[in-house]
Amino acid sequence: MSTLETRDITKVYPGTVALNRVSVSFDSGKVHALLGKNGSGKSTLLKIFSGAIQPTEGDVLLDGNVVKMRDPSDAFTKGIATVYQELSLVPGLSVAENIFLGRAPMKGMFVDHKKMHEMASEMLGELNLNIAADEMVYNLSVGQAQMVEIVKAMSFKPKVLQLDEPTSALAKNEIQSLFNMIEELKKKDVIILYVSHRLHELWEIADTCTVLREGQLIGTAPMQELTRKDLIGMMFGDVEIKTRPHDLRISEEVVLEVKGLTRHHKFQDVSFRLRKGEILGIAGMLGSGRTELLKSIFGADPADGGEIYVNGKRMKSPTPQKMKKAGLALTPEDRKQEGLIQIASIQSNLCVASLDRIGKGLFVNGKTEEEFVRRQIDGLQIKAGDVGDLVSSLSGGNQQKVVIGNWLNTSPSIMFFDEPTRGIDVSAKQQIFQIVWEQSRYGVSSILVSSELEELLEVCHRILILSDGRICGEYTPEQLSIEDLYALSMGGESL
Amino acid sequence: MNASGLNLRKHLNKHMLELILLVIFIAMSFASSGFFTIDNILNIFRNIAMQGIIAFGMTMVIIAGEIDLSVGSTVALSGVTTGAVTGWLANHGGMPMDQAVIVGMIVSLVLAGLIGLFNGFILTKYKLPSFIITLAMLNVVYGAAAVMSGGFPVTTLPSWYNVLGSGEILSIPVPAIILLLIFAIIFVVMKYTKFGRSVYAVGGNPESARLSGINVGRVKIVCMVVVQLLSALSGILLSSQVMSGAFSFGKGWELIVISAVIIGGTSLFGGIGKVWGTFVGLVFLGVLINAMTILNVNEYVQYIVRGCLILVAVLITTIQIMKRRS
Repeated sequence: MSTLETRDITKVYPGTVALNRVSVSFDSGKVHALLGKNGSGKSTLLKIFSGAIQPTEGDVLLDGNVVKMRDPSDAFTKGIATVYQELSLVPGLSVAENIFLGRAPMKGMFVDHKKMHEMASEMLGELNLNIAADEMVYNLSVGQAQMVEIVKAMSFKPKVLQLDEPTSALAKNEIQSLFNMIEELKKKDVIILYVSHRLHELWEIADTCTVLREGQLIGTAPMQELTRKDLIGMMFGDVEIKTRPHDLRISEEVVLEVKGLTRHHKFQDVSFRLRKGEILGIAGMLGSGRTELLKSIFGADPADGGEIYVNGKRMKSPTPQKMKKAGLALTPEDRKQEGLIQIASIQSNLCVASLDRIGKGLFVNGKTEEEFVRRQIDGLQIKAGDVGDLVSSLSGGNQQKVVIGNWLNTSPSIMFFDEPTRGIDVSAKQQIFQIVWEQSRYGVSSILVSSELEELLEVCHRILILSDGRICGEYTPEQLSIEDLYALSMGGESL
Repeated sequence: MNASGLNLRKHLNKHMLELILLVIFIAMSFASSGFFTIDNILNIFRNIAMQGIIAFGMTMVIIAGEIDLSVGSTVALSGVTTGAVTGWLANHGGMPMDQAVIVGMIVSLVLAGLIGLFNGFILTKYKLPSFIITLAMLNVVYGAAAVMSGGFPVTTLPSWYNVLGSGEILSIPVPAIILLLIFAIIFVVMKYTKFGRSVYAVGGNPESARLSGINVGRVKIVCMVVVQLLSALSGILLSSQVMSGAFSFGKGWELIVISAVIIGGTSLFGGIGKVWGTFVGLVFLGVLINAMTILNVNEYVQYIVRGCLILVAVLITTIQIMKRRS
């Protein structure tokens, strides 16, 4: 029997208090769910336990003794192991080699492969896992890799095991085997902290639930005593939702229609219509298929079935080039890797999608280019010293505006915004919303994907709910409370 | 430091290579009276012309984020093909040699174009690294040139053909004129055309370029074809200069060509580079070799100097990029 405790733990970042005097206790042999929306402080708490960050004030106690984790490897040696959402296994090594990476049993100067495989096989067997110790990691499914990751964490014989969104990338049957494995782990008298946005899972796997909101501890209770309504109420409290400007008009004209679009294992049978000037929100959690859906409509990823119509015209085997010509635009979720050319200037980045438009024939017209750049810098209020500077020198919000500007230069009629507000500050977010509304006034239709569901209620005319790759509802912001929207997105019914 | 001083430093940093080149020029002019003469300068250009023509195409390929190691073999193949086709047409087809050689040149250009197309297609379709594909092609094409030539130089070529490699217009060597012409064309393409911009975008971040609706595959294929066509042109000029085509032509040129591009400041990671830089890099290499030859530096010592130069040039470029980022 062991316990993990925090006493008045506080974490202050410049401008925000991420955790405010949180005192909470977890005991072993149970799965403890940590719940809260983005910015609630649950990730901060997780990071303090994992040694990734240090608390500003307060203590962490393990079995009654104060422990200080200098860094993640220090936390491991002190008995707190963390398995992150992003997998960290080395694909080119075997399962056993990964489990004992850097700590392999030695025979003189060389790794004792036989012993290492025996040890790994034993650990895999103990948890009833049907994975061979000598299998190469690149041959594993995501679910199997996730489980190997947990075995690796368990090989440190930790007292605390933190699981951060372990099911977000898994298929249904894999989730079941993961849960079976967690049940086995409970018998080993480990304290398991479990973070997941899939609310319904919690009743299946968790024993207690601890809810945080805006850095405060709201409460801890046994799972059996809690209803969905209780949990969502605890997560949100009273929130004020701002509404979009009243002068936005939608015409009856359908500009985009998607019929039965399917991409196996990503999303199934998605159908919807988008009207001229309309701002359509897609609410969905990580792994719901929202990004994949946008990319497939845009032609960046293949689809396995279904039809796409732009202005009534069927688009067969779409590619980004074709869809751009048809008036579509996509600002990708991953700004740095997919939206921008980091090693190029602000000016170049504003004229990538619109290359065909900056001058007649084969040549670039310097004057036109300058106009294109100026138009977006002024129109979107991009704060840049010199347009020749590298785009990577800009702040996150301004980089996002460059991504949007790159597409506005193609004079699109339909914009897809995938997580446009991720990692940018509050005032920049408002500016992005203004841009979306302004485009609507010009008759541009938008699809907005965001995991900050409040934003969808604030910005959109209509919201589709995407859960596990299926559209499971369509609402106007007026019909929904934020609690309903979260409940629906996290899979399940409204309250 | 005041603003103008900072500006000066920025300019010095940017034109480091030109500056060093100037210093060598001045130093050499004092060291040897034979260096700074019109004859010697033209000689330098004649010497860098064949490899230089390829280097401009290679600049496009490297900016696009790819590489072509098979260019040297294509030089051999096109020299041999031109000679072999000419000989075959003249001996078996009854075509006058003067015309047959034109067919021969066209056939070598088409062959090279097909090699480029193949390289580009495989790398786009199967996402193989161009390093591997063109390393394989280096061997295949070299072997093909050797088989086609039967192991001996092919020498059935008409006498007018010699003009291309050894002729002069206004006492400027024809290969040097072609070099300058190719430089001008590629300079304009990369700086002032939409295609040139798309090459930078594709090399800078292929995924972002793809999502911006740029046909990444097509851009890369065009670059791979252009560098092969220029290699064939280079092979034709070389075979004209020595009035024969041999499978030993162009052996190891890929490394000299890539060196010139990299000394000129083009990043091997793609997305960054200038055609002007490659020109300076070429002249730099040419002047250095010329100077060392005039000063009677041992040939093998020249290798050491050239190797060090490549390393230093890449270091300078990398440090500059790191500085810009921070």
